[in-house]
Amino acid sequence: MNEYAILSIHGAIILFGAFLMTPMGSGISSMFHSRYPSTTTRRGQVLAGLMFVCLGGFTVSAQTLWMHNKLSEGASVCGGDTILNCDGLIGNTAYNTDPLLDQPWGLIGMVAFTLLLWFVITIAKEPMSTETPLFIKGGLGATVAGLPVIALLVSYEIKEGLICPFCTVAHITNVIALIGFFILFKMYESDNWAPELKKSSRK
Amino acid sequence: MHENGIGKTGEKMKSMLHDQDASARSDAGIIVMSMFFAGLLVVAFTTSPIASGTQIGERAPFFTGEVYDGNGWSSFEFEDLLDTSWTWNSTEESPWIAVEFLDTDCGYCKQSAPDVGQWSEMYSTEQWPGPDVIFIAVAVEFVADSSRAEIIEFRSQYNNNFGYVDDLDISIAKEWDVSATPSYFLVQPDGIVAWNSNQATNSLGWDPKEEASTSLNGFDDGYVQLNEAIEQLTMLNRGD
Repeated sequence: MNEYAILSIHGAIILFGAFLMTPMGSGISSMFHSRYPSTTTRRGQVLAGLMFVCLGGFTVSAQTLWMHNKLSEGASVCGGDTILNCDGLIGNTAYNTDPLLDQPWGLIGMVAFTLLLWFVITIAKEPMSTETPLFIKGGLGATVAGLPVIALLVSYEIKEGLICPFCTVAHITNVIALIGFFILFKMYESDNWAPELKKSSRK
Repeated sequence: MHENGIGKTGEKMKSMLHDQDASARSDAGIIVMSMFFAGLLVVAFTTSPIASGTQIGERAPFFTGEVYDGNGWSSFEFEDLLDTSWTWNSTEESPWIAVEFLDTDCGYCKQSAPDVGQWSEMYSTEQWPGPDVIFIAVAVEFVADSSRAEIIEFRSQYNNNFGYVDDLDISIAKEWDVSATPSYFLVQPDGIVAWNSNQATNSLGWDPKEEASTSLNGFDDGYVQLNEAIEQLTMLNRGD
């Protein structure tokens, strides 16, 4: 299958999640209402959207790890003469692992999105838990911590004069997840988290 | 105060493990860990990664630079010499690559330069029954100050007809983990290091068919020279 066809599948999952997080996503969320009643609330919608976003981030990161391994075998997975070229970046041994742990960036992405997804699922399962603000701040902190990493990777792209589409999708996903956690943070700080309860009366 | 803080954190962690919301966290943990390992398994079963490095069986690091070929300096990309589709049973005769790291001020490099020049011609003639071997010299600056003029002079003094890559800033040498000259590497057409003169036992070569190291026998002193490695390894799986 063409690499961009595969990328569009990851992109569709992420875009669906991002759309679900917006106020316009309420129409789409109605398809989940009977199976997942929590999606009838704005909080439920944002959490469901974030789950799709993090899932898309995880799958696209897993794909970059797969590409990393394939490139080491000598294969070409996303090359070409245009500026859009993964081989020159994921296959470049000077840039394709993190400088601290020497692990492929795809694996780092998988771990990061797994952690974010754990935060989201835990919050969705027990939204009224006393630890919920801790997990929201955890997700927010993790996505903010991803920004300097993204800046480093973009600097590699600038240095090589190439853009890795798969990596870029993973970077954008981190930013969307950051926005999602920020929406949750603001919601938790207001009465919109559980409109039936005032913030002061939550446990 | 500090101990009190640690104690409070400990208590909080303990309560997080036992409170009524713990099952939500563990359920979520089981879901995401399953997903993570499923992802890893898919990657593990569909790929067979090869480490990058200069030990036998590893993928030689790519490098770029300026090469002197007798007519002037031009850009050079190591990757351009490779045939990534090559396998041990390929019918196509893709060339192997012999990489020599040398210093124009190093005595041993001067001593071996005529031999290397001779081999570079010998392994690309019609009389040689094996695949062609492309020779590349990487000129570093370990011993004393060197220059491009010295590189050109050294090349012409020993009548070497192969390219000399400028690595006076020793960036390629660092990437290839070379700290002494002369150092020789024999690289398969697909970019895998087949032999490394710096490896502890240089009588070991890489067998691409078995995907394991193989012993280069027949040398009483246990020391293998570049030409001996070429003759054994390029012909290793001939006739299979």
